[in-house]
Amino acid sequence: MMDFVHGALATLVLLTLVKSAPIVYAALGGVISERSGIVNIGLEGMMTGGAFAAVVASYATGNAAVGLVAGVAVGALLGFVLGYGATKFKVDQIVAGMGINLIAAGGAAYGLVLLYNQPGASPQVHALGRWYWLLILFAFVCAFALHHVLYRTPWGLRVRACGENPRAVTSAGLDPLRFRLYAAVISGALAGLGGAFLSIGEVNIYSEGMTAGRGFIALAAVIFGRWTPWGATGAAVFFGFFEALQFVLQGRVAWLPSEAMQALPYLAALVALCGLVGKVRAPASDGVPY
Amino acid sequence: MKHKGIVPLAMAALALALSGCAHHQAGPRPGQLKLGMVTDVGGLGDKSFNDSAYRGLLLSKAKLGAYIRVLQSRSAADYQPNLIALTNQHFNMIYAIGFLMNRDLDQIAKQNPTQHYAIIDAIVNEPNVVSVTFKEQDGSFLAGALAAMMTKTHQIAFLGGQDIPLLHKFEAGYIAGAREIDPKIKVDVKWVGSFDDVASGKELANVLYDSGADIIYAAAGKANLGAIDAVKSRQNDYLIGVDSNQDGLAPGKILTSMVKRVDVGVFDVAKALQNGHPLTGHIVLGLKDNGVSLTHFKYTRALIGAARIRRLHQLKRAIVDGKIVPPATRAELAVWKPVKV
Repeated sequence: MMDFVHGALATLVLLTLVKSAPIVYAALGGVISERSGIVNIGLEGMMTGGAFAAVVASYATGNAAVGLVAGVAVGALLGFVLGYGATKFKVDQIVAGMGINLIAAGGAAYGLVLLYNQPGASPQVHALGRWYWLLILFAFVCAFALHHVLYRTPWGLRVRACGENPRAVTSAGLDPLRFRLYAAVISGALAGLGGAFLSIGEVNIYSEGMTAGRGFIALAAVIFGRWTPWGATGAAVFFGFFEALQFVLQGRVAWLPSEAMQALPYLAALVALCGLVGKVRAPASDGVPY
Repeated sequence: MKHKGIVPLAMAALALALSGCAHHQAGPRPGQLKLGMVTDVGGLGDKSFNDSAYRGLLLSKAKLGAYIRVLQSRSAADYQPNLIALTNQHFNMIYAIGFLMNRDLDQIAKQNPTQHYAIIDAIVNEPNVVSVTFKEQDGSFLAGALAAMMTKTHQIAFLGGQDIPLLHKFEAGYIAGAREIDPKIKVDVKWVGSFDDVASGKELANVLYDSGADIIYAAAGKANLGAIDAVKSRQNDYLIGVDSNQDGLAPGKILTSMVKRVDVGVFDVAKALQNGHPLTGHIVLGLKDNGVSLTHFKYTRALIGAARIRRLHQLKRAIVDGKIVPPATRAELAVWKPVKV
């Protein structure tokens, strides 16, 4: 019995880290974008784009590190599309975000047929192997870095000002649209990294639908974490923990059906959102074109 | 403000263009057998269920000279339009691949009583619909028996996609087969909750192996690919694949695959139609007609050994002869007792 408890605890801790990491990346992307005033519901699509690009590049070069770079780059590119649309054309950010989700899913589906002539899933490629544990730790390094940048540097202050009151930034002689564009690109890069973590970190293929809503969970983590890097990271780990817990407990609690167990992370999040987080306040100009 | 909305519109248009797969091919000749197929959301390329159905269609094209056309479903909302589109083009037979289409097909079959339809994995009680289902529990029974013979930890596992009745046939048959060999064996059961979450498939497989199971029977659609990736890096653990022959995806680590020959069902229906005796009612394919089977252990024959393979053949005969009736539901499993053969 002690052995089982000990083993289950070790599994739980490691699994929590593994489950959290991709959500932490995407959630940090959500934080920087929303703090600058751009709502990013395209996180899921940016993860998909990153996951697919990482596999394509790893397949083409036989080098998973190149895949990782490609995943980040394609994520950043999709972030640029969102940022450019939101700043230059002042499009509805929700619509643009949904557009990115569609274009990434459709583009990857088409790419699979085009490149490998096999719809559904890619061939197996080189994965990161042991490096992927480093990538898990790096997620928390990113959280630290983003916190530092947002709260301890002038650039971060300006980004936050863009999300609260872009007019004030203009009156200081700066262009808020430029900050928003940068923030969206960084947001996409982080989400792309989260996607690449899934496809060439955890496994070694791209399969349609493999992000499985993690981008939307990240979006919830941003709100849950009150739009702060550490808050969002904590929320992502919270989701990750309950996902890991349901994985370990499934089948061990005989009277509870598996569907109820699978709903555990969402239930826990609901309870926490209602009871623990209290009143949340989004950046005042979040989602408002300037 | 003229530009407002152009970007998302362009994006949406591009996304639609990218996701729509247009098949350009020559039309049918007069008098040619016309076969249409609507895939389930997994779509072509799932290396499993839909691909198997498509192989049956390709076989019909090669052997019967049929004209074939496939419409893919991106979501459940596509089932009805796809079925109607094929109905309007007067195909001789229209296949609905997957149990989720049963209600849409029932409605459309009623409205078009002269059109022939076939559905896989579900039963639609209309005179113009032939329903093809499989005894997944029979093949899964053999998979469970093999796992129980191979395990060194006396603990094996089942990893399912979604916790739904169709998958319970796999689960119940597998557990019964394991108990046939070792009535006291421990079988862990876990569910991914979807058929596409590859990463979760891998994580759950690792959880099952870490908790002491050394053989997993994975029936989780594309999430199987994650479980297969997990078993590659494990020393003494093995996996059993499902639906299509997955043995080659991790040679030597996948003991066998429980193959479901949807292609056989699709081809049989087409052949009967061309011979002028269209099949009707409910057809059940099992071990006897090769509707379900284990693979031929291409990479694992030496590991498993001749004695165990002989035992599997013996069990297969017992099932075909009706001496063993593997359970198809959890309720049947609860009252199921091992049979001496």
